[in-house]
Amino acid sequence: MADKKRYGFVIDVSRCIDCRACMVACSVENNVPYDHTRIWVHDQGIQGSIPDLSRTFFPYNCMHCDNPPCIQVCVSGATYKDPDTGLVLVDQNACIGCGFCVEACAYDARYMDESRGVVDKCNGCIQRVQVGLKPACVATCLGGARLFGDLNDPQSDVSVALKNADTVVRLDLEYNATDTDPNIYYINAPREVKELVTTDAFHQMGESVPRAPRYTLSEEGWKKLLIPLVAAGIGGAFLIQAAYFTKQLIEGEKEIDE
Amino acid sequence: MSSYKTIPVAERRRLKEKKYKKHNLANILTHWFNVGCWLLLLPTGISIISSPYLNITPIWWQDAFRDFFGGTANVITFHYTIGFIWIFVLVFNILVGFRKYFVPFAVNRMLLDKDDIRWLLIKPLQMFGLRKGETLPPQDAYNAGQKLYMYVVILGTLGIMISGPIMVFKKYFPPIVKQIAQPVHWVSVFAIVAGILIHVYMGAIFPEEKEAFFSMFSGKVSAWYARAHHEKWYWEKVREEMDWEQQVKEQVEAESSREPEPAPAKSGD
Repeated sequence: MADKKRYGFVIDVSRCIDCRACMVACSVENNVPYDHTRIWVHDQGIQGSIPDLSRTFFPYNCMHCDNPPCIQVCVSGATYKDPDTGLVLVDQNACIGCGFCVEACAYDARYMDESRGVVDKCNGCIQRVQVGLKPACVATCLGGARLFGDLNDPQSDVSVALKNADTVVRLDLEYNATDTDPNIYYINAPREVKELVTTDAFHQMGESVPRAPRYTLSEEGWKKLLIPLVAAGIGGAFLIQAAYFTKQLIEGEKEIDE
Repeated sequence: MSSYKTIPVAERRRLKEKKYKKHNLANILTHWFNVGCWLLLLPTGISIISSPYLNITPIWWQDAFRDFFGGTANVITFHYTIGFIWIFVLVFNILVGFRKYFVPFAVNRMLLDKDDIRWLLIKPLQMFGLRKGETLPPQDAYNAGQKLYMYVVILGTLGIMISGPIMVFKKYFPPIVKQIAQPVHWVSVFAIVAGILIHVYMGAIFPEEKEAFFSMFSGKVSAWYARAHHEKWYWEKVREEMDWEQQVKEQVEAESSREPEPAPAKSGD
């Protein structure tokens, strides 16, 4: 029980002030190119009416889902769920940068690093976690809004924070066969949150997350057209060959008159 | 031309003894090099495709290769390293032998003629037991089915050779190109594989074509096999032989009709 880790984030949105220090710390730690980021902060805007007003910010990064749609589509096996930590990681030596996963991610948490031709995203700062440090975003968070730890360990920071939270929200996506089960828990949100409407420059304006996974045309064509075609072709060829072979076995071979 | 089935025993024996050269050494070596590369590339390539959404390769197959090579990236590196050797050697062979082997091969052995079209119309039906009575038109060095498959192989090979490097040199191509390259690579491979099933069976197991298998080592087939399966090519060979005989005859005559030279003087020099 205790040996299987399930790393995740707990974010206390009542403590986030949208300073975006986490974004800077992350970019510095992980050499994120200038035109990309692995963390986004969503502004929910001013909600409610006078005098009951609130404004909350939802920082988020890769949710390290239990059932990630990105892994479903990765053709080269570069994206995988690390069995030891539960983190969703990208092996960039295996990644060919096709972007199927960027389209599939329900949280738009992935980006294409054009300079290297690979996909990149939050890796839970596994390089820091492995040597006993906290992820850069967590270590730098001024208000202590971000927490990171093993959700399977009842003594960890995240488990304790979850236990003591007023409200817990998870941006789970249940859509058709997809049920992401994300591992970022938002606690102490003042109002009910169902999805985040995107307003920052890294996204298409007005798009909200979570969204349904998108599948590209080449992928759909592959799955729905090419696979049946090839299966029919291979199956047909195999049957013809098998029929002749059976006939050959039944009739036997004549030594002389081949 | 009468059917080979009416040839009497003595003539059959003579034809079986006689050999014609069908494949040159360049073809044989390239063929077996290609076989070796495919045996390495196909299983590793299949093991790389891991998408559960596409659900192509069984997990145990993926895991077996990943464990053997020590990780996904290693399987991919192995796959494209062998792939580049394959591309280099094939392209090199074709370029080096372009005038001597490739162009004559393409011109003499690949083009479909009227007999081939008729063969293609009849043969598939005969395989399902229809139009049994009809005789198949005489065939070239390769029959129409082989010719058709040759086009599949050439197009597929081009597809593989173009889409493969696109996925390796990922830095230089936009995502959309890499997205298309993957199904192109895959479908090119499996279009060839579908034919390989028939190709291997016909070439190595099917009793009537046994000679074809050994010809891929020796380069030679018997005249009887040529007469029975590749009639047009057989007559072509016979014609070549007759031309050669004629040539030799003329040569010998010319040589012997020349003035017999007087015996060289033994003394004086």
